[in-house]
Amino acid sequence: MNFPTSITYWSHFVTIAMFALGLLGFLLRRNAIVVLMCIELMLNAVNLFLIETSMRTNTPDGIILVVFVVTVAAAEVAVGLGIILNLYRLKGTVNLDHFKSLQG
Amino acid sequence: MREVLFIAFSLFTIGAASGVLLSRNPVYSAFSLILSFFGLSGLYLLWGSTFMAMIQILIYTGAIVVLFVFVVMLLNLQTNRENSSNIVFLGVVSASVWLFSLIILRVLTRSIPNKILEIPENQLRTISKLLFTRYLWPFEILSFFLLVMIIAIFAITRTQEIAHGGEK
Amino acid sequence: MEWTDLIITAVKTAVIYLGMVQVVPIMLIVERRGAALMQDRPGPNRVGPFGLFQPIADVIKMMMKEVTVPRQVNKALFLLGPFLVLFPASLVIAALPFGDYFTLLGRDYLLQVANIDVGILYVLAIGSLGIYGILFGGWASNNKFSLIGAMRSSSQIISYEIPLGLAACSAVLWYGSFSLREMVYTQEGTFLGILPNWGFFYQPIGFLLFFIAAFAETNRLPFDLPETEAELVAGFHTEYGPMDFGTFFMAEYMNMATMSGLMVAMYFGGWHLPWVSDVTLLQWLGSRNLLAALQVVTVIVKISVFMLMFVWVRWTLPRFRFDQLMRLAWRNLIPIGLINLVITALIMYFRSAQ
Repeated sequence: MNFPTSITYWSHFVTIAMFALGLLGFLLRRNAIVVLMCIELMLNAVNLFLIETSMRTNTPDGIILVVFVVTVAAAEVAVGLGIILNLYRLKGTVNLDHFKSLQG
Repeated sequence: MREVLFIAFSLFTIGAASGVLLSRNPVYSAFSLILSFFGLSGLYLLWGSTFMAMIQILIYTGAIVVLFVFVVMLLNLQTNRENSSNIVFLGVVSASVWLFSLIILRVLTRSIPNKILEIPENQLRTISKLLFTRYLWPFEILSFFLLVMIIAIFAITRTQEIAHGGEK
Repeated sequence: MEWTDLIITAVKTAVIYLGMVQVVPIMLIVERRGAALMQDRPGPNRVGPFGLFQPIADVIKMMMKEVTVPRQVNKALFLLGPFLVLFPASLVIAALPFGDYFTLLGRDYLLQVANIDVGILYVLAIGSLGIYGILFGGWASNNKFSLIGAMRSSSQIISYEIPLGLAACSAVLWYGSFSLREMVYTQEGTFLGILPNWGFFYQPIGFLLFFIAAFAETNRLPFDLPETEAELVAGFHTEYGPMDFGTFFMAEYMNMATMSGLMVAMYFGGWHLPWVSDVTLLQWLGSRNLLAALQVVTVIVKISVFMLMFVWVRWTLPRFRFDQLMRLAWRNLIPIGLINLVITALIMYFRSAQ
């Protein structure tokens, strides 16, 4: 299949944009659940890049990496949400500003 | 045709992704996340990877986001305003993210091999063969990792129950 | 792609989709009359001969009612809810094979909307999206019963997707293909000379798992915990008006039909008649299009049998309690599914070693 260079270039742009959005949300949002969602966005940006590269260079390794990433992401979300549930039980909120006890 | 579809899917994905961090209500965030994953799976289809597109929908939208929505609804969070950090911090963070992205974009696009290659006829077969030959050990470790994760999740909920029992 | 191709694909899509939508009125009367039959009462028999026009009357009633949107709801998601359920239910039909192919103007056209090479993944993936309509609809209703229904639905569907996936995994392993069409091709002929070469005879446990999980996935009794009228009023659709409820209803029946179609394609030989191969039939009938028509009729008959089974089970079994439902999935179905997968893998290994 033919991949014009412009599409490749703009696909990288999409990857970066998604990653940047995820990073921004991760740094700026205070709701723990939304923060986790932003981590997912970043992971998916990487997945997009890996699949695009893998399909462009005709090597299946990138896709296998994505399979691994998806598996780890699913586990990560399950554990992360479990922790968030516990945090909620602890303080009745998931706003990350309320969890500063280590800062003294 | 490809170009038009690509632009449509990209804009859709990025728009939905920005919806995740812009919406105040976590439920809307989750909804945007679903939409953005759909856009991504459209992009995967465009690259010719039907399998990954289906996996994206099956696992991300079908399972992971359901978990998100489930927890959001379980906690029934009020959509109170987040007292967002001061404007200087926001500006600094945005600027640095923007710079960082630009640098990565430069690095990534420095050398794009513009080869014309055809996609292997049976991609699934190739992937599964590789999974059980070259990537056998990562694969096995991953399964062990999943087991550990299951136990970890049980442990997380268990400790809470014990703590409650102790309070009584 | 030429103009004629495009037009024929469009017509094919329209015919298959509209054909599947007809499941809804037919099932409406079948279900009500079936319930009456099992409860030893006449059932609806006034509208038209044998009450056959009852669905039309039902639909007219639903259409004529006033559409109400309660004041406390989240309007956008509330109105989106029914369509989020109907949309995946309609999309899934594209992957179902209704027959081999027919010839028109010297060209062959598949009796399937889209021959996707990962067909079964597509069905599972898109089918799992129907849950969002229930989740968002239930949440947006801003009603405790609806919310509980939605939460139940999400945990139930996530849990039962695993046995469904495991059964599908075993089937994929057995047929060596993800494509539903390939699966049906493999099921031609006979097994041991007496039985038809259907997946059911190779994967009986897988079929049973799939069958049970299909009930949970379609929110049918005995697994209709999201809408238990005894404890949750009507669950996630408590607040919905007439036609929104009708949309949920439509989606449920269409999901049943696709699940039946999937079971037919995976375990009951798709368009194949038992003991007769396609080549013999073609010689006998003498025409490819006639054979295609026969295949479509075969698939429809097989799907109808499963639909009747859905009705039969609904009025036979009582509803599960929620913990029983979860225990059934996690403690019974998933281990059985895993064991079935391992056994299938072993058989495949030894078969290929020979």
